[in-house]
Amino acid sequence: MIDVKNISKTFISHSTEVKALVNVTARINPGEVVVVLGPSGSGKSTFIRCLNYLNVADEGSITIDGIDILDPNTDINKVRAEVGMVFQSFNLFPHKTVLENVTLAPIVVRKKSKEEAKKKGMALLEKVGIQDKANVYPDQLSGGQQQRVAIARALAMEPKIMLFDEPTSALDPEMVGEVLDVMKNLAREGMTMVVVTHEMGFAREVADRVIFMDEGAIVEVGTPEHFFKNPTHERTKLFLSQIL
Amino acid sequence: MGSAVALKRPKQGNHYYFWVGVFFFIVIGVVLSLYFSARQIDYTWRWYRIPKYFAYQEQVEIRSEIDGEVERISKKDNNAVIRVKGTEGTASYAAPVSALGFEEGDQVYYGDVLATYKKWRVGILLEGLWLTLKVSIIAIVFGILIGLFTGIARISSNPALKWSAISYIEMIRGSPLLVQIFIWYFVLGTLFNNILAKHGIGQIPPLWFGVAALACFTGAYVAEMVRAGIQSIHRGQTEAARSLGMTYVKSMRYVILPQALRRILPPLAGQFISLIKDSSLLGIIAIRELTKATREVVTTSLQPFELWFVCALLYLVLTFSLSMLLQYLERRQMAV
Amino acid sequence: MDFSLILRRFKTSSSYYISIGIFIMLVIGIASSLYYSALKIDYVWRWFRIPQYFVYQDQVEIRAQIEGEIESILIKDNKAVIGIKSDEEIEVHTVPISDIRVDEGDLISPGDILATYKKWRVGILMQGLWLTLKVSIIAIVFGILIGLFAGIARISSNPALKWSAITYIEFIRGSPLLVQIFIWYFVLGTLINNILAKKGIGQISPLWFGVAALACFAGAYVAEMVRAGIQSIHFGQIEAANSLGMTYIQSMRYIILPQALRRILPPLAGQFISLIKDSSLLGLIAIRELTKATREVITTSLQPFELWFVCAILYLVLTFSLSMFVQYLERRTQVT
Ligand SMILES: Nc1ncnc2c1ncn2[C@@H]1O[C@H](COP(=O)(O)OP(=O)(O)OP(=O)(O)O)[C@@H](O)[C@H]1O
Ligand SMILES: [Mg+2]
Repeated sequence: MIDVKNISKTFISHSTEVKALVNVTARINPGEVVVVLGPSGSGKSTFIRCLNYLNVADEGSITIDGIDILDPNTDINKVRAEVGMVFQSFNLFPHKTVLENVTLAPIVVRKKSKEEAKKKGMALLEKVGIQDKANVYPDQLSGGQQQRVAIARALAMEPKIMLFDEPTSALDPEMVGEVLDVMKNLAREGMTMVVVTHEMGFAREVADRVIFMDEGAIVEVGTPEHFFKNPTHERTKLFLSQIL
Repeated sequence: MGSAVALKRPKQGNHYYFWVGVFFFIVIGVVLSLYFSARQIDYTWRWYRIPKYFAYQEQVEIRSEIDGEVERISKKDNNAVIRVKGTEGTASYAAPVSALGFEEGDQVYYGDVLATYKKWRVGILLEGLWLTLKVSIIAIVFGILIGLFTGIARISSNPALKWSAISYIEMIRGSPLLVQIFIWYFVLGTLFNNILAKHGIGQIPPLWFGVAALACFTGAYVAEMVRAGIQSIHRGQTEAARSLGMTYVKSMRYVILPQALRRILPPLAGQFISLIKDSSLLGIIAIRELTKATREVVTTSLQPFELWFVCALLYLVLTFSLSMLLQYLERRQMAV
Repeated sequence: MDFSLILRRFKTSSSYYISIGIFIMLVIGIASSLYYSALKIDYVWRWFRIPQYFVYQDQVEIRAQIEGEIESILIKDNKAVIGIKSDEEIEVHTVPISDIRVDEGDLISPGDILATYKKWRVGILMQGLWLTLKVSIIAIVFGILIGLFAGIARISSNPALKWSAITYIEFIRGSPLLVQIFIWYFVLGTLINNILAKKGIGQISPLWFGVAALACFAGAYVAEMVRAGIQSIHFGQIEAANSLGMTYIQSMRYIILPQALRRILPPLAGQFISLIKDSSLLGLIAIRELTKATREVITTSLQPFELWFVCAILYLVLTFSLSMFVQYLERRTQVT
């Protein structure tokens, strides 16, 4: 489904180079839930953003569903339509109602009819449990509600893959659960998911595999049992000892 | 990372130089189409006529005012002093050495050219440019003084001060500068000069009414800057100053204003740039600043196209170099 | 209760009213000193002459065109129908009944007055005011279109678009509007109209060159607002749009511009107010807007003092009511 080969990414900020990704290779299979863990600044966000072309890898190759997204001749918007993304800061469109947020992209990108998009949108809002807020504006919602709308918005494009970049980090603790529940349901339905998170419970319970990153490189990959019970690398052990 | 980065459409890097080329193509195209459409209406471009309006060489002739004999030519460096001795007395003339047309002992008659030389003179455009700058500088100085006073009055709790300041600021900012200039010139100017004439005192030239109009105009805008600057200083600063026993005036003088003024320096410089552009209106009341100078040269040279572009370019150079300076100031202030 | 406290409060409140009194005295003082100093130079104030330049009653005379006899005068509602019969033809006039100067049976020759009535007409100042508004509205509409395009081009990553936008914006903002108006009128206007004349097509009136100058001028300032508005939108919005597969144009159209435009509405209205003031310069290229209309009225009425103040007050009323409206808008956008 997603095939990442030897990608690297270097940022230049204030004329100093920051190696955000160094020679990263990974593979995500259909229906798999992969959780990316790692300390702050280890390149998790950069990795997941590269998958959606929000950051452009300097070298290497990224193939999604058989399409090389780094090929200059690829229409990246076609690929993005198949890949949903959920951000830490929700990024809902403040000038659109909740329902309009969900239906906008299906209408303008997928060229769906308004009625069809609305029907689908309402169904998705019901699925994430906020159908009664369909006609209010985002700023009247709590953080957890906003993030659930953002998930519904991404799902409205009927993506084959969902990317989550710390979807619960900006939430008050009491709202984390409602968002994680939506994600768990999605995983159960067989969605292919890549999730950057600090929620170890989620990783343990839902992940098929865990990727551990540090200093821009993938240090260790394995099942949750392997990862949490007997990690092989010193850096992994250090990380786990600090957070558990 | 800014939105500009994210806005970047992908896959454009390859064509960057192509589009740079397109830009220069557009610029050249605009210039050429101007040139050729002017040719089409039989307009002759005469750019070579322009420089003389900046500076020109004038032929200076020194003529003898008496009949007599060149008694002595004393040279020093490049300057010579010619003494002519006549029957009624002697006369001395100074001229550059290279320009001399007579030698010692020669006979000269009244009106003879003793020496000719060329001298650089400032042209009308350069004079206009200078007047533009001069007027703007005088006006900004008075404008700042007015603005400082009015800005402080604007936030005073005394209603006489406050309302006077508000009335002044709103009246100035609500009406066109052109109308204000006309009022200064045709209403107040007429009043003043007629009253002065009645008392037998000399007249005030239009220049000063123009400067007054600009200064009052600028003052209102500066006042708003001063107000914003003072209000941006934290209340805590006033309270700290007052708690140290300073009076209102002292806390203003030593604590608030120094901080506020530093903050309003950049917008003040921006106001000065505006003022340079606004001073172009003074030409309408017969003050020969750059725009008026250009109009006059147009009527004598009959080369309007070149001259209007030159005029615009001169303003651009002035304002652009000033705004570079402003940016430098801002960067330095941020570093502080 | 503490007596001194009451006393102090009384004192502050009484000093408050004294200050208000001083303010009002100040205003009256300025007005009357103007009045009396004008009297001193034998200027006669004639405010009563001013209203006629807003609206006036015109005497309309209806005259017969043929020789004949009044055959009938039929009165119906407020109108009278006068029929004149000659040997060959019949002429019919419908007139108001207020002032009929003929009777049935009267003999009439061509040019005789049949009836008169009075009609309200719009005076020159009112026409000028209307033209000022009209010109400003047309110019702001085009200015917004230009500004939208230039603002988006300004932050494009395509160098041809970006540099063209920067060049345009800097040229306009760096030179005085007056010079730009002269360039539009004396350079581009001459060019275009001469070429049109050569091709035998009709001329473009100065009005349109004036409007073009104002629109291009406003466009550069609007472009900077649009740029700032777009850049103030959080880049997460663009990323969210991109991640949903929207193209650059789609994300601009549906996500960025709607949010940015809402933010720039208040400064845009401010720009419109500026434009109303700036349109006063159009009088210099023979467009009879408010300022030019005022100048013309002065040459016929010889009452410069009244008229210049009226002119300024008209601008003040326009800009003040508009800025109240802007404040209302700002408060409303803050609520949502
Ligand atoms: N746009 C950028 N410009 C410059 N440097 C960047 C940029 N984005 C990320 N970086 C740098 O790249 C490195 C990796 O950042 P990244 O955001 O991928 O880390 P992360 O693992 O997501 O961290 P966190 O847990 O804090 O979100 C960091 O050192 C960061 O400072
Ligand atoms: Mg991150």
